[in-house]
Amino acid sequence: MRLLVVEDEPRISELIKAALERAEFVVDTVRVRADAREALANTPYDAAILDLGLPDGDGLDLLAELRPARNHIPILILTARDAVEQRVLGLDAGADDYLVKPFAMSELIARTKALLRRPGAALGTTLRAGNIVFDTIGRDVSVAGIPLQLPRRESAILEHLLRRQGRVVPKSVLEEKLYGIDTELESNAVPVHVHHLRRKLQDAVASAEIHTVRGVGYLLVETKG
Amino acid sequence: MSFGGFRSLQLRLAVRLAILYVAAAAIAAGIFVYQAYDTAGSLNDRELGLRAEDLARAVLTDSAGQPRLDLPAKLAAAYAAAPEDDLFAIRDTNGRLVAASPAEFGERVSKWPPARDEPSYFRLSGAGSEDFGSENYYGLSVALQTAAGPMWISVARTEGSDALIKSLLREFAFDAMWVSPLLMLATLGIGIFAIRNGLKPVREISRKASSIGPNTTSVRLPEQNLPTEIVSLVVSMNRALDRLEQGFAVQREFTANAAHELRTPLAIVTSALETMDGDGELKKLRTDVARMNRLVEQLLRVARLDAIALEFDTVDLNKVASSVVATMAPWAIAQQRTIAFIGSEQPVKVKANAHALEDALRNLVENAVLHTPCGTEVTVTVDCAGRIEVADQGSGVPPKDREHIFKRFWRGPAEGNEGAGLGLAIVSEIMRAHRGGVSVGDNPGGGAVFTLSFPSLQAGEAKMAGKGFAGSHA
Repeated sequence: MRLLVVEDEPRISELIKAALERAEFVVDTVRVRADAREALANTPYDAAILDLGLPDGDGLDLLAELRPARNHIPILILTARDAVEQRVLGLDAGADDYLVKPFAMSELIARTKALLRRPGAALGTTLRAGNIVFDTIGRDVSVAGIPLQLPRRESAILEHLLRRQGRVVPKSVLEEKLYGIDTELESNAVPVHVHHLRRKLQDAVASAEIHTVRGVGYLLVETKG
Repeated sequence: MSFGGFRSLQLRLAVRLAILYVAAAAIAAGIFVYQAYDTAGSLNDRELGLRAEDLARAVLTDSAGQPRLDLPAKLAAAYAAAPEDDLFAIRDTNGRLVAASPAEFGERVSKWPPARDEPSYFRLSGAGSEDFGSENYYGLSVALQTAAGPMWISVARTEGSDALIKSLLREFAFDAMWVSPLLMLATLGIGIFAIRNGLKPVREISRKASSIGPNTTSVRLPEQNLPTEIVSLVVSMNRALDRLEQGFAVQREFTANAAHELRTPLAIVTSALETMDGDGELKKLRTDVARMNRLVEQLLRVARLDAIALEFDTVDLNKVASSVVATMAPWAIAQQRTIAFIGSEQPVKVKANAHALEDALRNLVENAVLHTPCGTEVTVTVDCAGRIEVADQGSGVPPKDREHIFKRFWRGPAEGNEGAGLGLAIVSEIMRAHRGGVSVGDNPGGGAVFTLSFPSLQAGEAKMAGKGFAGSHA
């Protein structure tokens, strides 16, 4: 998986590169907008990490150039401008996600992976969390290499939690996903399915678990150690 | 005169004005009385002059060629009626007496020097005299042309004849004096009222000035509708405030810049530490750097909060709170705590700046997660009265600390090392900017409850919620 990092601060760039490489990405770094433009034109990157304050201009302009041209590469914005207007501006310009400096490298890697897990993106076909592997084409789930049989509704929930792993998926979003399968949805359908799914994952000794955020939704987190 | 005892400018001015006013009134009355006396005197003089002319007209030359007084019957009767009150004497230019009434007056007058063309006035005391009685007389001598040639004519009348006018004047003067204390009081009252009225803009200004604080440096005193004497003071005050505001802005900018500039090196250190493997010291170092990151973030928030006037929109507290819970949940779970959101059924709409509010709530949730024991739950509750409560199950906040915890850089003795004491100050300032508040109390199940409250819930919303909320937060 090849990533482009556009960042003018050499130390940060170096550290991002090191962190991403440890997460087994191939990383190219450029320092200025002109180089970034050239790199993106010549190499099919799977995702780009873009700093907004570049020496030769605003990263937002680069975004504005990319999107109208065919380029749908997932882009994560890094910005020290924490003014929220800037974030919104970045998303409007076509960024897929943003991170405000200073950020934890683990967060950067998690966000990058999440971008790549989007349907159609590089990791979109095979989703992983800990020892859970979800093949979205065959809809096969395995835990530690052992296939796990899941009903359609539970696998739909798992897929969604995997795509957004590490972040809370609102219950309402999961309900919408199930609505496509069940036309008549019981009010407690999501909790019931999550409950079953959670038990099955535990039984299979999965190294990721589903947490409930009462009143909001659910999130899938890899278990530590 | 010293007014050192009067601290009030109003009273000082009023008293001085009243004294001035009364003095002016007294002088005016005095002048009036004097003028009245004068006028009465000149009326007297004029009458005497007319009498002298009447007499002159009555002087004829008799058959012997001698001057003789031939008074018309009416005049003669008048003089005869009160010979002691109205006197006259006519002399020829040699000083020889032509006529006199009474005779004694003639005798006196005959010793006088010649009369001039200009009337000369005299006073005459009749005390002890048989004919004059005890009256005092006032009269004039003048030389007049008559049918018998020039004559010296002297006329006089008793001084008491203008007694009525004089007594009226005396009464007036007495009345004026008697009224003066009342006048003094009235002018004092009017003065106080007028000055009070005149100083109204000054009170307005002081009210306005009292609202100026470190967070409201943009307030300026109104320069319109002011007494001209005060305008220059107010203008210089405003100039001083301009300079102060500038100073504040520089200070804030410095804090913001400093915090901002610290971020990049900190980010470098943070991520460099992440790439290192190891336990023990390295782990502690990571915690230290995380703390420093937090401090820098909070400093930046404080600086931003000071510098930027918040823009308010109508926001739904349910949305804000659930989004903060969703954002914080992964972190809380990593700390082995759970977090829950309990929303109200209806949207709870308040005027707020959503981002500032998220900042405030994030701070409270962060604190709660850090203080609640491992494995317990932090709950964020929104109620329809426009409150957000963040409850933990930690050791709570002792009552004696409750008024201090919202001060900048205040740290409780039991708090340990984490935190710089800025988080709750930020929360408090954000809520103050919303005209709301933050308070802390006990969680019934143990631990602390922090409550964010908002001043105005949209009235319609409250009714819709149907809980009969009386708006006690207004």
